[in-house]
Amino acid sequence: MNTNLKISNVTKIYPGCVANDNVSLEFNSGKIYALLGENGAGKSTLVKILSGVIIPDEGKIYLNENNLKLNSPLDAKKNDIGMVFQHFNLFETLSVFENLIIDSDEQRESVREKIDAIMKKYNFSIDLDIPVLNLSAGQKQKVEIIRCLIRSPKVLIMDEPTSVLTEQETSELFLSLKKFSEEGILIIYITHKLKEVMQLCDEVAVMRRGKLVSVSQIKNENIESLANKMVGQNLKNIKKKKAKISSDQLIKVTNLNFTSEDPFETNLVNINFSVNRGECFGIAGISGNGQSELFQVLSGEIISEKSSIEFNNNYIGDLSPQERREYLMAFSPEDRLEQAAIPQMKIFENVALNNFKSSNFFNNGLINENKIKEHSKKIISDFNVNTDNIELKSQFLSGGNLQKLIIGRELITSPDLLICFNPTWGLDVGAINYIHETLIKINEQNKSIILISTDTDELLKLSDKISVIHKGKLSKIMNADEVTSEKLGILMGGAN
Amino acid sequence: MIIDINFIGLIIASIMASAVPLILASCGELITERSGVLNLGVEGMMIIGAISGFALMTVTGSLIIAIFGAMLAGVLISTIFAFLTQTLITNHVATGLALTIFGIGISAMIGKNFVGIPGKEFPILFEGLKDTIPLLGPILFGHSIVFYFAFALPFITSYFLKKTKIGLIVRAVGDSPESASNQGINVRLVRYACILYGGAMSGLAGAYLSMIYTPQWIENMTGGRGWIALALVVFSTWNPIKILIGAMIFGGLTIIQFHMQAIGVRIPVQFLTALPYIVTIIVLVVISRDSRKIRLSTPSSLGKSFHKDN
Repeated sequence: MNTNLKISNVTKIYPGCVANDNVSLEFNSGKIYALLGENGAGKSTLVKILSGVIIPDEGKIYLNENNLKLNSPLDAKKNDIGMVFQHFNLFETLSVFENLIIDSDEQRESVREKIDAIMKKYNFSIDLDIPVLNLSAGQKQKVEIIRCLIRSPKVLIMDEPTSVLTEQETSELFLSLKKFSEEGILIIYITHKLKEVMQLCDEVAVMRRGKLVSVSQIKNENIESLANKMVGQNLKNIKKKKAKISSDQLIKVTNLNFTSEDPFETNLVNINFSVNRGECFGIAGISGNGQSELFQVLSGEIISEKSSIEFNNNYIGDLSPQERREYLMAFSPEDRLEQAAIPQMKIFENVALNNFKSSNFFNNGLINENKIKEHSKKIISDFNVNTDNIELKSQFLSGGNLQKLIIGRELITSPDLLICFNPTWGLDVGAINYIHETLIKINEQNKSIILISTDTDELLKLSDKISVIHKGKLSKIMNADEVTSEKLGILMGGAN
Repeated sequence: MIIDINFIGLIIASIMASAVPLILASCGELITERSGVLNLGVEGMMIIGAISGFALMTVTGSLIIAIFGAMLAGVLISTIFAFLTQTLITNHVATGLALTIFGIGISAMIGKNFVGIPGKEFPILFEGLKDTIPLLGPILFGHSIVFYFAFALPFITSYFLKKTKIGLIVRAVGDSPESASNQGINVRLVRYACILYGGAMSGLAGAYLSMIYTPQWIENMTGGRGWIALALVVFSTWNPIKILIGAMIFGGLTIIQFHMQAIGVRIPVQFLTALPYIVTIIVLVVISRDSRKIRLSTPSSLGKSFHKDN
């Protein structure tokens, strides 16, 4: 049976921002639709309206000509609209099975049979009786998908589903989505990743600043044309100039080991590398292979042997992050809102946070607010942070703006080495471009970067040397121009 | 010295009796906390239950009205807490503390007229069977209905949380109110219900003290038991069966240290009085030290306000 979903003149206005401006769209089953846009373009608002989480100010939704009243998530479920959110809606401490039966009225046994049948059909394998917090991100997403499939939905909406997945999990997901589509489920796929749209979808709708910009067939588009539609201007193509690398060694890591007591962490085994001035050393790998432990050891959140890290001819392995900063190291952690900035504190307060000694932000233990604010304003304008209110709480900045702010803050001391961990994770194209440009500039000023990233394209674009981390071990270090993404992929899988 | 075996039975029974109010209040608070609400007003709700029960018993003469009235009083005062924290989104900790202060104050005010009035005898069950079995007889038989209910409650609570749909929903709300709301669960309604249930159990615990355990009204007669009940919930890592163990240890040491004081053991009285608190916490910490299990049973959203934005 054919499913037809129609969004008609939907408008949603928030104070100070029109999230959806008179959006009309039509979808038919049998196809996979992409809803493309940068962060803040209004695509999440639109799908939240479709799933009943947000009620629009104006406009109507029709499913097979029936006007739907979606006042709660329950209404969407009743009308066979399933939704997998970007941030999982799972109960971490409950078991997988408990997560799946919570919204079902049927008997436990019959639901269990249904789940088993679904898992068999789509080749999922998940232990139903372990708590969700023990699952990988990819497995959690499968649980979300199963939760939708139990209700045999007509429409399945996926909101930025690949932002937490490895490449292999992504291709598994695409296979499943194509299967669902063949079985007549209408699929709406929300993303800002152009490559995925080209790979997976049949039709694409582009949104920008709350407005629908275009609807077109994928076969008539390419990555550049979509990028330009999405950003609304022609994007610069960034390329790193091949600079002559000095032979002046800045940091040297020798026989670095870390054994964790936490079974969920990865042990680091015998890590050795060195980075010269002006060089960018990239570390690739599938997430969870020791990257976060390595970042913590390098930044001083985890203390190691004094002699295992040599920086500027000093042994610093046993120093705290603050002390390492005094030696002119700077850090940009993966989790922007938990590790890099304090969400409830204002922008200028966050700027002041990591510069206790090397700045003039504090006089005799008192805060020099004017100095900090002055400097915050400078960061905001120098690094293109899209706000003019330094009193704003950091949690209200978008990911891209927050990342720019953090990089700007870290560069206050003009550090010799910046260690970044997934600096562009979850950002839109415009922000990614900006961060990449900034990182290249740092190298051009003869400063060094250690870039730990799960994004292979990014690593190939920015690095001079690349290594792959797998199960806490580094592969041999290669020159970036000898490496291809295929080769990295093989090493990331653990082959030699 | 020959100790009568029935005497040991009586001591154990008295330990169990002193554990009853702790079990009742803790199991109620456990449900509240499992839904993500931290209600520090247990002491206040208990003392309100105690004075309501005693006053209603004296005025109406009906034990049934008194018991249910005490529970209703617990519900009413917890409704204030629920309205403040769930509807007006106030801070759980501050509101709970205020509730306790309010409860102690208002109970003292109402209680003025009831000081010195003797209580009524509360009917006990199976009294005739007390002497039929040595040791076990006095432990098993001759107690009030509330006593039996209290010792069944941890098992009922455990079953409710693990096996029933509503129990699952309560745990889900405590784990992630946002996800629960997105699943179409009415988070505020669930939390209201859990808070009110906790109030009812605290009220019953208070009534047990003033009507059965020591049938009279004394100002501030709960004597910090509400706080112990709160501590039991946390140190048991939200596990009803461990609450039972903790309450028994606490009750046991309280009774034993009384006897030790009476015999004249040469240990400073202050230390003896402090002993139950220290030992209970140590034991519960030791039996609950599995960090993975703590992570699994701690309600992730405990004490955090949930505000549905639209």
